[in-house]
Amino acid sequence: MTATVVRTAPGGSGAPRARASRLVWFLIAGLAVLALAMLASIAFGSLPTSIGDAVDVLRGTADANTTAVVESRYPRTALGLLAGLALAVAGTLMQGVTRNPLADPGLLGITAGASAGVVSATAFLGVSGQWGTVWWALPGALLAGVLVHVIGSAGSGAGLVRLVLAGAVVTAVLSAYVQAVTLGMPKVFDSYRYWVVGALGGRDFEVLLSVLPTAGLGLLLALLLAPALNTLALGDESASALGARPGVTRALGLLAATLLSAAATAAVGPIAFVGLAVPHIVKAVTGADFRAQIVFSAVLGPALLLLADVAGRMLLRPQELMVGIVTAFLGAPALLVAVRRMKGGS
Amino acid sequence: MSRPKGFVVLGRAVAVPVSRVSVVAGLVLTVLLLAACVATLSLGRLGIPLTDLLGALTGGARGKAAFVLERLRGPRLVVGLGTGAALGLSGALFQTVTRNPLGSPDVIGLASGAGAGAAAVALLLPGVVPVPIGALAGAVLAVVVVYVSTGTGFRNPGRLIVAGIGVSAISVAFIQYVVYAVERDKATVLTAYVNGSLSARSWEHAVTIGIVLLVVAPLAAAISGRLALSEMGDETAGMLGAEPGGTRTAAVALSVVLSAGAVAVAGPITFISLTAPQIARRLTGGTGPHLMLSSLTGALLLVLADLAAQQLPLPGGVPVGVYTLALGGLYLGYLLIREWKKGTL
Repeated sequence: MTATVVRTAPGGSGAPRARASRLVWFLIAGLAVLALAMLASIAFGSLPTSIGDAVDVLRGTADANTTAVVESRYPRTALGLLAGLALAVAGTLMQGVTRNPLADPGLLGITAGASAGVVSATAFLGVSGQWGTVWWALPGALLAGVLVHVIGSAGSGAGLVRLVLAGAVVTAVLSAYVQAVTLGMPKVFDSYRYWVVGALGGRDFEVLLSVLPTAGLGLLLALLLAPALNTLALGDESASALGARPGVTRALGLLAATLLSAAATAAVGPIAFVGLAVPHIVKAVTGADFRAQIVFSAVLGPALLLLADVAGRMLLRPQELMVGIVTAFLGAPALLVAVRRMKGGS
Repeated sequence: MSRPKGFVVLGRAVAVPVSRVSVVAGLVLTVLLLAACVATLSLGRLGIPLTDLLGALTGGARGKAAFVLERLRGPRLVVGLGTGAALGLSGALFQTVTRNPLGSPDVIGLASGAGAGAAAVALLLPGVVPVPIGALAGAVLAVVVVYVSTGTGFRNPGRLIVAGIGVSAISVAFIQYVVYAVERDKATVLTAYVNGSLSARSWEHAVTIGIVLLVVAPLAAAISGRLALSEMGDETAGMLGAEPGGTRTAAVALSVVLSAGAVAVAGPITFISLTAPQIARRLTGGTGPHLMLSSLTGALLLVLADLAAQQLPLPGGVPVGVYTLALGGLYLGYLLIREWKKGTL
């Protein structure tokens, strides 16, 4: 699949063949980074084990204790893989659909909506367990996403900054709501306090399975939409002339992004800036082709999130820093850099 | 040069706007503020009954009333008043400089920067550096980062706000890092440094914010006339002798000090400095910074929000910062839609 993706990539100025082989090498490098990140994620933690131990466990030659320690890190590694992939692909989709370099599920209120949905269901409807809560993340995320777009497109013309501002407003109100509820019901929400920051640890494979269908659907939709997004990038008029339907493509793109970010948020809590930063890095490597962008996001997103998680485990050892905190440290400066590239700003 | 109409000139520099509308609005705000203060002291199970309140305030209180007045609600009320006034004034100064309601200290990340500074010195270096100094350093750093990363200074509200979101995110992440690294009772400490809270304030906090207001308010009054002129645009203001550049720098500096002071005593309480100047402006219908009215409105808003935080039957003691976050967020949404319909942003 990768081969077809890169071969059909629209070449920039240089020869398409050279460009394609360059992309293949980049993808191999990206996969190597991801493999290293996964290995680091199962090797490092509060209990001292090394990369060598992790390799031994994978080979099946380690002693029982080491094996138990390393295997206890499998669920969080798998979760990081899924959440990083979902958030990065969602960010790429949103930036493509809205043509807004600042689009990110966290900045546009979708993550806050998913949190509010999960918290409401647990507090007022008595929903418990992961299978129940993921279904409440979805309507929350959808509602918040729609609300942000309604506020953002009020008045004449849709500015680039408006959606971000609308997202900030919706996030502010929803996070006040989430905090009021979580502070008010300390017993019910002891685990949710942890969840509210965004963390990979303390969850099992059941969580992963419960969000897998939603995330899979979102990813499938994203891959199917990629060619249409390429057409959309030519501008609405040219796209319509070529037989594309910009409105439908946009709506489906946002739906896919919402599904992906709702799944990630339901599984690991709100994690900001992965969806903002990864697409910018990816675009620098791939250029404008969305098929390549989505594939690279799916590789580099998990790599970044897992490395951030490993960093969080090492910084406060033997305690851990939630991965949501680490990604904010890493991602927010990317936002500050992006500000300068904003045209006009209004 | 003739002064704009409706200004009372005190000395050479100070011109206080006293149109009749402002005086009426000021009186109404003061009456409401007094009512809110009385309600804060007398409502609820531990409140001092209205009939005893005057005696307790003038003649000295005994027993339960003394405890409530001197330890429990008195300091909290005074800190609320001072912090609200400081936030309102800070917002009025900053919004006049950016010439946009959204260019307000809490929206552009100044308050969360101050919160991060306060958290750093209070939790990482307890007792080494006073908390207000840490808050001030954090606020200054936040303003500098925002100013530098927009590339256009404070002129472009869109860039200002997006840079502010970034600075806020870094600050909050830093606060979370510090709290998780140091504290055990994480939830309450975290929310105090991220949202701001007025619970368990002492007279020491009241004195801190009082000193900040005493130093900054006269300076703000001193530049208010020139600041009003600078709203007319650089050229006009320059011709009228207002030195717009210098005036703006002074206003930003004062605003930063006020915000830092407020954060040092109460944490980064959001949206008061956004909303108070806007309400003050609506009350009078005029232009100009309305420093006095903004301070009164800020104090009123915060005391009312804290009254709600104390008296509403929500379990678990939701801090006042969460209330202002919810209300201010709604107001910000209204403001955005209005600005967009007018096409001014």
